[in-house]
Amino acid sequence: MKTILVVDDAIFMRKTIRLILEKNGYEVVGEASNGREAISMYEKLQPDIVTMDLTMPDMDGISATRAIHSSNPDSNVVIVSAMGQDSCVREAIMAGARAFIVKPFQESFIVETLRKIS
Amino acid sequence: MRSAQEDIFAAEEDTQKGKFLTFMMGKAEYGIEIRYVTEIIGGIQSITEVPEVPIYIKGIINLRGKIIPVMDINLRFNKEARQYNDRTCIIVVDINDLSVGLIVDNVTEVLNINDEEIVDPPDGRAGFHQKYIHKIGKVGDAVKLLLDCEKLLGSEEYTRLSEIA
Amino acid sequence: MSDSKREPMLDMFIFETLNQLEHLEQSLISSEKSSNLDASINEIFRIMHTIKGSAAMMLFDNIASLAHAAEDLFHYLREHPGIGIDHPALTDLVLECVDFIKNEVAFIDSEEESGSNPQSLIEKTSDYLAALKGRQSEEQAPPATSPESEKALFYISSSERGPQPEGGPRYEAVIHFSESCQMENVRAFLIVHNLKEIAGNIKFYPDDIADSDASIELIRSEGFYISFNSPHSQEYLDSFFQRSACVDHFQLSPAPPESEIDRGSPRGCRPERPGPAAATIPPAPERFDSPSPSIHQSMINVSVSKLDRLMDLVAELVIVQAMVTQNPELEGLNLDNFYKEARQLKKITNDLQDTAMALRMVSLANTFQKMNRLVRDMSHKIQKKVKLELVGADTEVDKNVIEQISDPLMHLVRNSLDHGLETPEERLTAGKSPEGHLSIEAKNFGGDVWIEVKDDGRGLDKYKILARAQEHGLTDKSEAELSEKEIFSFIFLPGFSTRDGVTQFSGRGVGMDVVIRNIQAIGGSVLIDSIPGQGTTISLKIPLTLAIIDGMTIQVGRNRYTIPINSIREAFQITEDELVCDPDGHEMIFIRGKCHPLLRLYQLYHVHPAARNINDGIVLQLEHNGETICLLADSLLGEQQVVIKPLPNYIKLQNSNIKGISGCTLLGDGSISLILDVSSLLKL
Repeated sequence: MKTILVVDDAIFMRKTIRLILEKNGYEVVGEASNGREAISMYEKLQPDIVTMDLTMPDMDGISATRAIHSSNPDSNVVIVSAMGQDSCVREAIMAGARAFIVKPFQESFIVETLRKIS
Repeated sequence: MRSAQEDIFAAEEDTQKGKFLTFMMGKAEYGIEIRYVTEIIGGIQSITEVPEVPIYIKGIINLRGKIIPVMDINLRFNKEARQYNDRTCIIVVDINDLSVGLIVDNVTEVLNINDEEIVDPPDGRAGFHQKYIHKIGKVGDAVKLLLDCEKLLGSEEYTRLSEIA
Repeated sequence: MSDSKREPMLDMFIFETLNQLEHLEQSLISSEKSSNLDASINEIFRIMHTIKGSAAMMLFDNIASLAHAAEDLFHYLREHPGIGIDHPALTDLVLECVDFIKNEVAFIDSEEESGSNPQSLIEKTSDYLAALKGRQSEEQAPPATSPESEKALFYISSSERGPQPEGGPRYEAVIHFSESCQMENVRAFLIVHNLKEIAGNIKFYPDDIADSDASIELIRSEGFYISFNSPHSQEYLDSFFQRSACVDHFQLSPAPPESEIDRGSPRGCRPERPGPAAATIPPAPERFDSPSPSIHQSMINVSVSKLDRLMDLVAELVIVQAMVTQNPELEGLNLDNFYKEARQLKKITNDLQDTAMALRMVSLANTFQKMNRLVRDMSHKIQKKVKLELVGADTEVDKNVIEQISDPLMHLVRNSLDHGLETPEERLTAGKSPEGHLSIEAKNFGGDVWIEVKDDGRGLDKYKILARAQEHGLTDKSEAELSEKEIFSFIFLPGFSTRDGVTQFSGRGVGMDVVIRNIQAIGGSVLIDSIPGQGTTISLKIPLTLAIIDGMTIQVGRNRYTIPINSIREAFQITEDELVCDPDGHEMIFIRGKCHPLLRLYQLYHVHPAARNINDGIVLQLEHNGETICLLADSLLGEQQVVIKPLPNYIKLQNSNIKGISGCTLLGDGSISLILDVSSLLKL
């Protein structure tokens, strides 16, 4: 079973994503609420996939993606973005993100995206 | 359309219907529907009096940590209070989220009484406690006075009161 | 209470959204006070962004679209710091949005349709933004970050990737993305970005995928065209496209070499530019919010019902523990070791109890924050200048109690502002500063929580109060017969109000009596002090714990009663000659020169005592709110902690207010003791 680290500063989003992922056979091994936590949890847990929110306090998703990707070039970071964040997503991609999904997302999209990148 | 749960509950009620717990008060024998009975306590235990309540409410008892009020049926029927002895029992009934223990002389048995054997009480009969008697049940030659639990607890009055409030 | 039909994430959504809105309000109001909005712009942006996202996930479009408008506004403000904004107007606008969302959430919580339309508020917000933009283009305020630094960022990251593979035949592909996958331009960007690893000389159309949304429509209708050279096999390239997310279908085929490309103007491609136009990349993500302490605390959310269940179990444990250690069957036995362990058991049970209690303790900070908002809004509306001082916000109270304190406290604050504090002109005439001073102070003292609401306004007019009380028939005593405190406490009687006019906020005479009722309902009391012309202080005294008290149990006849230790001043024995009887037959005792009424409990409750003669019994001096009464009992049984249980519902139906009894409890030997309520005994 693939392991996932869920990163989002909103508890609500984390729980919603967790619900969907676990329903579809993924194992959520950790949750982080900002970029800094995401980086340290990535190092500790070495998950197969990371879902990463972009706007978070104390270190945003792009910086965290950059950090994770540079020390783990094989990392699979999936950006969870909102509408209208085009340039941020692009930047995240250039920072090493493998894919992105747009909020509000349907279950099928996130599942398909995760399936394809692994 | 009833859910499966409701169906099962209704079925349980149906199977309990017609089952009465009978007990003696003086020379008369009474019955109450078993579905209201949650417990039968043999023997009277120490009752803590509570001030400023009707005289038929003798007080409260400790039932395994739960505090239950107890009512003397004789007094409720405005009869003379009888001495408690070691055959006196407390029947705990539960109606509309109210739990009350009924102090009775002794408990006889659980009886099945068919619908055909249950009739309305005769009109015009003198007897103060008449309003508490719902129906009359005949078992062989014996007559059992079947009580209306809700009226006994007076919970009807209270629902009316709470509607006004 | 089964909420099984409720969407499971709903409670989480409501909880978090309300939390965030509170944060936002706090941030906003404290920024306003320090006249520095910049510090909170980022946080407000982020909060609105999060609320937008969560609301959209739950399909609450009203909230999502309003939050989106607010987010846009703050995004702009974030990018243009230093732009001149009208702080109060902006704060008001944001608070309006906050209130709308709170309102919507309340409707959602009660599972009703709200029927309210955010459209006008959304327009107001976007108009505000438009005005800012219009002004900005006039003033030509430059964007926050310089284009060069952005470009540099981009170049660094692109050079991290390996060199593009050389050679190979040319291919072309037209890619169609799934319907409703959104942001097709960025999807295309992603594909190009990934393609660079396995292909070179990439050209694509539409080509402005990096800097504009215009390409989205084109990609949706025509597909995304891309041509490239690659040494990899067609199968490999085929699977590459298959593996790309959100690709619905595509056509991949070999293409003529580049030089032969001439597909006419619609298909003419520009070579890929070295990078997206830097000016359009939004401000550097390196802007961090100052970490707010609450996010770093290690906290866990627990449902209140679980806590209640824990408290119930702990309470029962206390009872059972007492029943075990004080079991009559043990009487007379020599059990040193047993009692040693029993003491240990008691100690641990007590610790457990303390810990469980502490779980339910919540700080007053949130409640105090509401006061901030209330004072701000009211002082604007009634045109009075007020300085609010909050002390002791970290004082903790039981969660149940917090809910009961909030409304009374708000009412007291409203009262102070409305009636207590004078207008700036009046204050100047009286020689005071034009700005009124209101302080709310909370502290722990003597096992209770004290909350003091103090204003430096005009104080209470005892003559006016007395007159009004007499008018309403609330008293027939004259000024000479009443103490100042007694006169002041008339304002707590229902239907009382000295205000001639009814204002929007108070004066209907229904407020103060509700305050005192709410506070008394949680076992607390209210005290008033006032100096005319100088101000009024109202103190709320609230017990820390509701259900477990230290009690002294007494015996009267065959019955036992328990009295809260806090209410007992003294216990002593007296002789008959110390007893005094007045003409009406009321008995009294003199203690240190003061006269106190005596109550024979057995008479009150019609029980048969062992001690009818005062010489044989014991007298307890009880006190509540400054008043005392003496009680005659047979004997004292001892002091212990008891769990207050309410009288059974059936009894309450018979008599909802039995004089002097507030509940009952189970003693260690299983017997029941009735709990005496001193304040109602005093009323007899």
